Amino acid sequence: MNAQLESPPETAVLEIAPETVKLAIKDLNFFYGAKQSLFDVTVSFAANAVTALIGPSGCGKSTLLRTLNRMYSLYPGQKATGQVLLDGEDILNPRVNVAALRARIGMVFQKPTPFPMSIYDNVAYGVRLYESLSRQDMANRVEESLRRAALWDEVKDKLRESGLSLSGGQQQRLCVARGIAVKPEVLLLDEPASALDPISTARLEETISDLKSEYTVVIVTHNMGQAARLSDHTGFMYLGQLVEFGETEQLFTSPVTSRARDYITGRFG
Amino acid sequence: MSMANAAPRLSRRLGEIAFLAFCWIATGIALVALTAILWALVKQGGGGFFKPNGGGIDLNIFTKSTPAPGNEGGLLNAILGSLMMCTLAMLGAVSVGVLAGTWLSEFARESRYGKVVRFLNDVLLSAPSILVGLFVYEILVAPLKGFSGLAGAVALGLIAAPVITRTTEDVLRLQPVALREASVALGAPVWRTIFAVIWKAAQSGMLTGALLAFARISGETAPLLFTALNNQFLSLDLTKPTANLPVVIANFALTAYDDWRRLAWAAALLITATVLVVTMVARTILRGSARS
Repeated sequence: MNAQLESPPETAVLEIAPETVKLAIKDLNFFYGAKQSLFDVTVSFAANAVTALIGPSGCGKSTLLRTLNRMYSLYPGQKATGQVLLDGEDILNPRVNVAALRARIGMVFQKPTPFPMSIYDNVAYGVRLYESLSRQDMANRVEESLRRAALWDEVKDKLRESGLSLSGGQQQRLCVARGIAVKPEVLLLDEPASALDPISTARLEETISDLKSEYTVVIVTHNMGQAARLSDHTGFMYLGQLVEFGETEQLFTSPVTSRARDYITGRFG
Repeated sequence: MSMANAAPRLSRRLGEIAFLAFCWIATGIALVALTAILWALVKQGGGGFFKPNGGGIDLNIFTKSTPAPGNEGGLLNAILGSLMMCTLAMLGAVSVGVLAGTWLSEFARESRYGKVVRFLNDVLLSAPSILVGLFVYEILVAPLKGFSGLAGAVALGLIAAPVITRTTEDVLRLQPVALREASVALGAPVWRTIFAVIWKAAQSGMLTGALLAFARISGETAPLLFTALNNQFLSLDLTKPTANLPVVIANFALTAYDDWRRLAWAAALLITATVLVVTMVARTILRGSARS
């Protein structure tokens, strides 16, 4: 009797085992000027795992992602409070060197953004910022990155051609290669497949699955199938709150909160 | 039914034809005017490069300085003077204009100070060039008690800089935010992002701006009347009055001497051809660098 009357919880956030935590977010609030768009987000992301963030448009998932590499610091009106601990170190601390931080936390954007330079230089660009490799080492690094991004076979004969000459799907994999070439610890993906056709999407998803052996991956996606296929953990966000976070299988098959259940079964959003 | 459909379709078709016709006529008028100017320039100016009484190309144009009436002479002093002043002016104007445009686009897009600077730059952009000449006369020529090529270069630079500032800002603003963020996300500092990615992406537009500015100053006459003045003799000393093509055109074109008028036409064609050649060379170089 009592069990039936008990209403489901408003929010449910799984705490992952402390020794596996790579990124720990505590009481994070985010403001675009006066408008608050994240409310008390507290969650941890595991190392060597893929964490997906889902939720309707404007729910704050991209904002959360942009907090993790301090991208918002480019814009004077944007502000975050709370803590984001990368291996225990608070990256929101104003004294953190953001350029060095962003070399540790890579990001791939919604639309492919190849730089106006050759395919080779696109991949080498980030590496040159922090490492001075010999010609041969650099060539190896570029090849290795392009292979990991599943692009090598398609571009190995035209590395000197402009990155802009590639197709949309190839450009996005080039951006992934560029991101992993600097050997970051965390890779943030902001709807990386939303501008791609199904075949390119499938190839990109394979790439992402391969990456998790070495990287901590956080992916924002509108595609719930993609989240279910790729991720180990999934967070559902709504109106700036992290409503539910858990094992992907559990979240998609038996969500605890009513809002997550409604979204996943397609009743809103 | 079919009649009811046909009526609007016909009027729409007529409207389309009328609009197209207007476009053609407008384009035609512009082209006719342009062709007429170019034709006169090529015919008269081209003739200026030949000896008046037959006998082939007049190499004196490139080897001798402006003559007294009736004497043999050429444009060497004016060509060198214009070349030196335009080069110096462009060096200054490109440095200032590119950096100012970058500042406006990348660092002061929404700031109040940026808005003031942008407004003032637009005012300067449309200021009559004779005012710029007078201004430089007041700050350089009068205090130093003498006309000089340097003052001429400063005046030309002051005219070119706002053009470059404006076009640089405009083309940099066109670069997507995503491109900046992508570079910053790799750990690149903002200055590196601007130098290596944003300028590279915008280089063709920035070059166009610089070429526009060059085309504009290469024919400016009014500001040079108050600054560089003119010089009958060959002089490479920019602290002295310096000969230049536009002022030679102004001085020679309305005289009664045939040989002076011939040189004025030659000078006009020379300026136009130089702008054309510089534009083509710069575009070719840029296309080569974009491909690699």
